[in-house]
Amino acid sequence: MSTSTSSSVTFSGATRIYPGSDRPAVDALDLHIEAGEFLVLVGPSGCGKSTSLRMLAGLEEVDAGQILIGDRDVTHLRPKDRDIAMVFQNYALYPHMTVAENMGFALKIAGVDKATVRKQVEEAAAILDLADYLDRKPKALSGGQRQRVAMGRAIVRQPSVFCMDEPLSNLDAKLRVSTRTQIASLQRRLGTTTVYVTHDQVEAMTMGDRVAVLKDGLLQQVDTPLGLYEKPANAFVAGFIGSPAMNLGTFSVVDGHARIGDGLVPLPRSTVEAVGAAGQVQVGFRPEALLPASEGDPGSFAVQALVVEELGSDAFLYGDLVGDDLRADHVVVRLPPRGVPQKGETVWFTVEPGGLHAFDVETGAALPTH
Amino acid sequence: MTLSSTPGPTPDHAQPAPSRGGRLRRSFDRHWYAWAMVLPTVVVLAVLIGFPLVQGIWQSFTDLNESNQRSEVCTKTLGGGETCKPNPDAAKFVGLDNYVDVVTGERGRFWLWFTNTVVWTFACVSFHYLLGLGLAVMLNRPMRGRGLYRVLLILPWAVPGFVAAFAWRFLFNENFGLFNSLLTTVGLDPVDWFSHRWTSLFTAITTNIWMGVPFMMVAILGGLQSINADLYEAAEMDGASAWQRFRHITLPGLRPISATVILLGTIWTFNMFPVIFFVTGGQPAGESEILVTGAFRAAFEGVRNYSLAATYGVLILSLLLVFAATYRRALRSQGEVW
Amino acid sequence: MADPTLAQDAGAHTRAATPRPRRTRSPLASVALHGTLGLAVLVALFPIVWVVLSSLKPGYAIQSSEITLFVEPSFDNYVHVLTETSFPRWFLNSAVVAAFTMVIGITMSASAGYAMSRFNFPGRRGLMWVFLVTQMFPVAILIVPIYTIMANLGLIDTKLSLIIAYCTVAVPFCAWMMRGYFDTIPKELDEAAALDGLGPFATFYRVVLPLARPGLAVTAFYTFLTAWGEVAYAIAFIQTDENLTLGAGLQQFVPRFNPQWDSLTAGAVLITVPAALVFFFAQKHLVAGLTAGGTKG
Repeated sequence: MSTSTSSSVTFSGATRIYPGSDRPAVDALDLHIEAGEFLVLVGPSGCGKSTSLRMLAGLEEVDAGQILIGDRDVTHLRPKDRDIAMVFQNYALYPHMTVAENMGFALKIAGVDKATVRKQVEEAAAILDLADYLDRKPKALSGGQRQRVAMGRAIVRQPSVFCMDEPLSNLDAKLRVSTRTQIASLQRRLGTTTVYVTHDQVEAMTMGDRVAVLKDGLLQQVDTPLGLYEKPANAFVAGFIGSPAMNLGTFSVVDGHARIGDGLVPLPRSTVEAVGAAGQVQVGFRPEALLPASEGDPGSFAVQALVVEELGSDAFLYGDLVGDDLRADHVVVRLPPRGVPQKGETVWFTVEPGGLHAFDVETGAALPTH
Repeated sequence: MTLSSTPGPTPDHAQPAPSRGGRLRRSFDRHWYAWAMVLPTVVVLAVLIGFPLVQGIWQSFTDLNESNQRSEVCTKTLGGGETCKPNPDAAKFVGLDNYVDVVTGERGRFWLWFTNTVVWTFACVSFHYLLGLGLAVMLNRPMRGRGLYRVLLILPWAVPGFVAAFAWRFLFNENFGLFNSLLTTVGLDPVDWFSHRWTSLFTAITTNIWMGVPFMMVAILGGLQSINADLYEAAEMDGASAWQRFRHITLPGLRPISATVILLGTIWTFNMFPVIFFVTGGQPAGESEILVTGAFRAAFEGVRNYSLAATYGVLILSLLLVFAATYRRALRSQGEVW
Repeated sequence: MADPTLAQDAGAHTRAATPRPRRTRSPLASVALHGTLGLAVLVALFPIVWVVLSSLKPGYAIQSSEITLFVEPSFDNYVHVLTETSFPRWFLNSAVVAAFTMVIGITMSASAGYAMSRFNFPGRRGLMWVFLVTQMFPVAILIVPIYTIMANLGLIDTKLSLIIAYCTVAVPFCAWMMRGYFDTIPKELDEAAALDGLGPFATFYRVVLPLARPGLAVTAFYTFLTAWGEVAYAIAFIQTDENLTLGAGLQQFVPRFNPQWDSLTAGAVLITVPAALVFFFAQKHLVAGLTAGGTKG
């Protein structure tokens, strides 16, 4: 299968306001996606990720701003003129057409001759392991096969951009993991620019060259998966990326220390300066950034274990801060699998060096920690 | 907007402010095919229903009838030409006279017909609904011969209205109808069905119930099938009896469809012309007429009285509009979106 | 849109909610159920059966007050109706009118229903209410003004006048019903078609319509029935025997004081047969097709 010429995609101040709503579903999105890149849009439901994708595909109006594919302004072009293919969440296969007809439909509409259509469909089917199913109707296929047909329909066209809207969410957990890798490797092989929408941060982290996190229609951060994980731009990204989620809580600042439960955890000088007179700071540390300590160790704080989950490879402890002065949710700690504390036991931890994140209490923006 | 790690080219954000004409143009560009798709329907409805409706409202304030509809009187002159003068008897504006005449019973028997219409509509729609519901619930159970029962029970729907009316009129015939024959066979006196207001209405109502149950049954059957089966299992786990499941799951689940079919059924029955017209023919002496058939006879038998017909039409429409508005409000207050 | 089967079962109805038979019915309940349904079937069928039986009797036996199932059964009445009256001509006229009403009615209501289901165009909500209001204005009262309009268009005594009039009667309900049906077909299919290069009309015709068969079947059934055997408009608009349709023509058998019951019964049966045939083809779609429209207001 010949690779198509893939294009870059640029959102420039792209805004969508649904009629009857005054809050934009997508608010002045600025995002540039390189040719051949796999970009994942991720965020909680209602964050505008699907709307952004649909704007790119031409299924949603653009109320302000522009969308470019390559150098071409496609803002007001019709979907069919954008050279885009899309994989839908429910696949949207035409129930009255066979697999081959589904995959070749766009080419047929474009007036490509029958032999060529057949050839391209067969090539795509070979890639996706669908050769035996070409004459079946979608109804006669399993969920995974339907998903592959939807992929096939997209790649047959050799578009310059793939749009994928949660294409894995209707598969069972096991199939989702294997299909995830298949899609990612297929994309690398074809080299087609791909914009992929998901609400699942694991998918985002494992598939994307870069990941864009959205919330309430606003772009929060775009970075490589590791970049997001290590340097979250704000408390939302910090809490959203990573599983189990980062522990986040608001604590008072006392003499350059954050008062976490009964303990005093030292804060870097730059953080203390940034907090200034506010007197409070939002502190975050990932479950794996906590080290077991003993009572009285400097910088340690106490956690009373509520639940311990043993997964074999790891164990996770869920507990409450002892002497909690301000509201903080449960603390989650990743522990080695052997010798985990009992329920009800009180355990002491310190935050490993460099494992502390600090965010502004008001804005949630990351504060320096060096 | 926070950031973009690889800032692309930044084209000018500023959109030209859409002018009024531009907005109209864009609205047209975006919606022209939707409008094109509804256009044929809208045009036909506008010409054949909208126009007569507007015309009718106007006519109901005049005394227009067949004899005074010309606005000019033309007489042939000797030379073969014509001279025309305004018709001195031309229809003229009479204000609310028609409405006053109708409502006070000056012309036609509005209140009798109105009562008949209410009785007729209420009886027909409630029996349609209750019988339709009962049959649908039975048909929704797994059992042998379900498909056959369903086909046979829907069959009356396929019988053209006037054939059904004729068949029932035939059955109710006072001299040789099956019902009177049966009554005589068991030793009872035959009933002069069409000699009394209520027996006469009874025949019409029976006919209409027979005709209308299949529609309701089919609609409710579909409604039943759209209720999630898990709800029944959950309710059974919660210990609900069969009646409680019906009461708390089936009935609420049927509410959207019920709301719709009851409204439509009421409108259709209210204006159901052929059944009364062919079954009772208004016998005895117009006492079993409903508003539509009564109006039809009053206005179109003898000299056609267009203004009277229009007055009735507007009255009937207003009654139904009031009903629909009340009904909608009642549904809204119960949290139904309509 | 979490259900992946939606894409495949587009338009098909929601999973049947028939409670699974967890325990067998008691014999008594079974008898009661079948008994009630049997009785209902009897009531549904017996007027039809009685007319059929009567149509096989000679005229004098029809008008006898004795209850008999068969009296000298013969097809004489049918022969008479088919050979000595204009019935075949009327039948043909009705078939033409009903067929055109069906085709035009389906086209109009399907496209209007599709537009209302898919496009959020200005005027959509108003249109729904207009459709409802058209059902409220009494047909009987409309006949005269519509007659005037038809006369002005020069359509009196033509089949076209009937076809147009029947469409106005049937289309509002059918459009509303089709809209409900289209609502059950996932919108993503339209979007996929748009990306595949189809315009709105082609999407409608090539992707959505083939999936709307149950809805179309009900619309066909409904429009056909509206036109087949309608009386009031037919009497008003048609003036020559040559153009009469069944409903109007058969009124000739009902002179004021001496109805020809023998011809009437045979005619009634003959009229019902094609309607029953159309019904037979549509019936398995009726439940799915009609209700999709009903569950959405």
